[in-house]
Amino acid sequence: MTTINESDSRDPGDAETADANRAATALAAAPDADERLAYRSVFQRLFMRPEIGAIIGAVGIWTFFWAVSGTFGTVGQTFGWLDTAATLGIMAVAVSMLMIGGEFDLSSGAMTGAMGMLIIYLVKETGELGGRGFPLVVAIPLSLAVALGIGYFNGWMVERTGQPSFIITLSTFFALIGLKLGLAKRLVDQIQIGRTDEASDFEFFRPFFAAEWERNEHEFALRDFFYTAFLALGVLILILAICELWFKRRNDPKPTGLVQFLVSLAGGIAAGIGLHVTDGAGANTAIGVVMMVCVVAGLHGWASWRYEPMGQRGSVTLDSTMKRRIGLGLVLVAAAGVVAVSIDSGSTNNIVFPFTTQGVRVIISVGLGIAGLTLLAMASQAALSVNAATKFVATSALATGLGVIAATVYIDSTTAKFRAGLFPFVLFVATLIFAWGALVSRFTERRVRDAHGDRFGNRMLAVGTLSVLIGLAIRMLFITEAELLAGVPPAKTSIRLFWFVSFTAIMMWVLARTRFGSWTYAVGGNKEAARQVGVPAARTKTQLFMLVAFAAWFVGLLVAFRIFSIQANAGDGQEFLYIIAAVVGGTVLTGGYGTAFGGAIGACIMSMPLIGISSARWNTDWRFLIIGVILLLAVVSNKGLRTRAAAVRR
Amino acid sequence: MSEPALLEIDNISKYYGNIIALSGVSTSVTAGEVTCVLGDNGAGKSTFIKMLAGVHQPTEGTIRMNGKEVSFQTPRDALDHGIATVYQDLAMVPLMSVWRNFFLGSEPTKRIGPFKSIDTAKAKQITKDELTRMGIDIRDTEQPVGTLSGGERQSVAIARAGYFGAKVLILDEPTSALGVKQSGVVLKRIVEARNQGLAVIFITHNPRHAYPVGNRFLILNRGQSMGSFAKHEISVDDLTRLMAGGAELEALEHELEASGTIVA
Repeated sequence: MTTINESDSRDPGDAETADANRAATALAAAPDADERLAYRSVFQRLFMRPEIGAIIGAVGIWTFFWAVSGTFGTVGQTFGWLDTAATLGIMAVAVSMLMIGGEFDLSSGAMTGAMGMLIIYLVKETGELGGRGFPLVVAIPLSLAVALGIGYFNGWMVERTGQPSFIITLSTFFALIGLKLGLAKRLVDQIQIGRTDEASDFEFFRPFFAAEWERNEHEFALRDFFYTAFLALGVLILILAICELWFKRRNDPKPTGLVQFLVSLAGGIAAGIGLHVTDGAGANTAIGVVMMVCVVAGLHGWASWRYEPMGQRGSVTLDSTMKRRIGLGLVLVAAAGVVAVSIDSGSTNNIVFPFTTQGVRVIISVGLGIAGLTLLAMASQAALSVNAATKFVATSALATGLGVIAATVYIDSTTAKFRAGLFPFVLFVATLIFAWGALVSRFTERRVRDAHGDRFGNRMLAVGTLSVLIGLAIRMLFITEAELLAGVPPAKTSIRLFWFVSFTAIMMWVLARTRFGSWTYAVGGNKEAARQVGVPAARTKTQLFMLVAFAAWFVGLLVAFRIFSIQANAGDGQEFLYIIAAVVGGTVLTGGYGTAFGGAIGACIMSMPLIGISSARWNTDWRFLIIGVILLLAVVSNKGLRTRAAAVRR
Repeated sequence: MSEPALLEIDNISKYYGNIIALSGVSTSVTAGEVTCVLGDNGAGKSTFIKMLAGVHQPTEGTIRMNGKEVSFQTPRDALDHGIATVYQDLAMVPLMSVWRNFFLGSEPTKRIGPFKSIDTAKAKQITKDELTRMGIDIRDTEQPVGTLSGGERQSVAIARAGYFGAKVLILDEPTSALGVKQSGVVLKRIVEARNQGLAVIFITHNPRHAYPVGNRFLILNRGQSMGSFAKHEISVDDLTRLMAGGAELEALEHELEASGTIVA
């Protein structure tokens, strides 16, 4: 600021030279360091994203149902909840955008059913009782026009009357319900209208809206190779990306580090291949140890190649709180192991309703384990601000705790899914935490912005995520001969999933990168201000209503192509699910804040319990309770995350 | 300053029904100068700027720009003539980032096939450059405007008006809600804008803010012009006295002195 003070008293004539001087000073000082700007680490930046709470929630819910149900993690079940999430999600994304723009649409649920019915009515040939017998090539655009008209009406009424959209769309909602019922009875004398496939050109349009993919019919011999390769590569890139965003780059890269990295990488790949070709506990254990060593050595090599080593490491200083936490944490984790192993897991006796011995065992050991790990995590969090040596000790304790958990899972579990899935996963996480502790205690954390490092790191994050997703998609879409021989139940998905992903991606781009997206945030955040600087506020809001109507039309179309016959009450009440999904995804009810991606994740969170509950063989009536609890937890935790993010931001 | 006036306001009046909000006010605004419009609450300052900003139209009198008579029917009209107004509420969206606010409504776009995308790199760079040029050292153009201080927000709004081709910049009470230090920051911005050749119209009821930066002072009191003065013609105390209607304040001072409230 000192440079600016000089400009106060000077003459207009001096402006040019002074400007040049100031620019030069500014360039010298900026842009890397600004003492007023607290540097945000990669995790802090991550926690500022509106959808972060939803992502964590989705992972938690998935893990929960994966653990309690025998089949939830299978491909078939995954396709199941993704299919539910698809139609819910297309709507949730559109509704999220409308809510970011500061409005509601209560008619969106009823609209999906109405549009499905309209399409069927248009293609139906029932003579005097109604039905027009149009081909789909006419019915599809015609129904779209009607949908957009209703959306336009909603927006226009809200703008014209200045009444809350809640009220306006509530009236549209009831009007649609009435129209659906009344017209269905009047025209076909039923409350159900069918069928889509009576249309003359049904077969032509079917692939676009109802194409299906039978997994068991698509064999791919090299599937597991590609799956493993993409997954491993993606995870590796993600880890390196976090390093890139976390550490300070050194000016003179150290080539020996790169060599160490490459050798470890080769070792890791070799071990992976070894794991594939050998069998038996001895060989697996040996290879597992080799892989863990490779992970630690490889990351260390990468870091010593690129990042600035730490000067002073300090000596281990654990204060009494930290000591107590580490001690108690390790004891609790060990106790969890003891409980899990000592109680007979075979017994299914009810001891206290509704818990069986098995249930009690799981609850006690999981509770103890989580409590122990939390204490250890708290200790290592606290150690971060002491010194490097302490950091290393505390994170190693956390890694040890996880190692104990992994061992417990291995010793105790009889289920293949835990032994083959959970055990290596926990062990891998433990290894990573150990390696991370080693890195943060040996290399300097970046405290200032580094445009190059940030760009490279962010690109790596994107590439890594994409690679993981491709790997998972390959695993989901194809089947191997071994699986076929083992009799894997058939699993199928439909083109809905493709539309869901595409729609979400497009809307993410629209919100982040187009004027319309910017204006959406602006009209939701401060409508008057937006109007003053020339944003067409009324038009933007109307277009958002039309976007929701478009989504409802599209979902109606998908439904009409799936089930052929639609009930007059189809979709009614769903609008609350869309709003819940948007809110769970981090969109604020009052507008101006949120993302399209959050809405999509919110839809997944909503649909997982629907499938999970039945696959855990619980009564599906509980789903509403679960959805209510999720909504409450989501708003509370999203609020907390936002407050934390804002605190970091200042 | 002998430059010709950019904007000449000749004897304008505004009546709302039988209420005379403003009558017979004249002044001139020159590029590279700060014209301060001073007045107490209800003096007609807001009416005056609303006529320049195109929100209201004068009942009588004329506005000339570069010697030609102009009439602003809408705020857009005024904006098209290069008259930008920064209101107290600033027209900013608090949850949006600085660069998005800077370009809101006029985002630069680039084509990607048939689609138009905001050129974010360019927008961020321009925002950063423009703010630096105004001497505003913004921390990060990605940070939400809501996290900026009041003075910084005023500064961004001023820089935005300047960037989008304003020739005349009207600032409506920019310092009234700010603390001493923040007001100083905004006053510096006003000087910066003036130095870049903008004609600045600075509305305030604080003569101590107006005097250091102003070149010309238009004083309003109860809808009447108390005169338009160049800086060398008038002192701070005179300004204060004229704003309060001269004699009235003196009378008040005497009264207070007599009652012992003011310790000389």
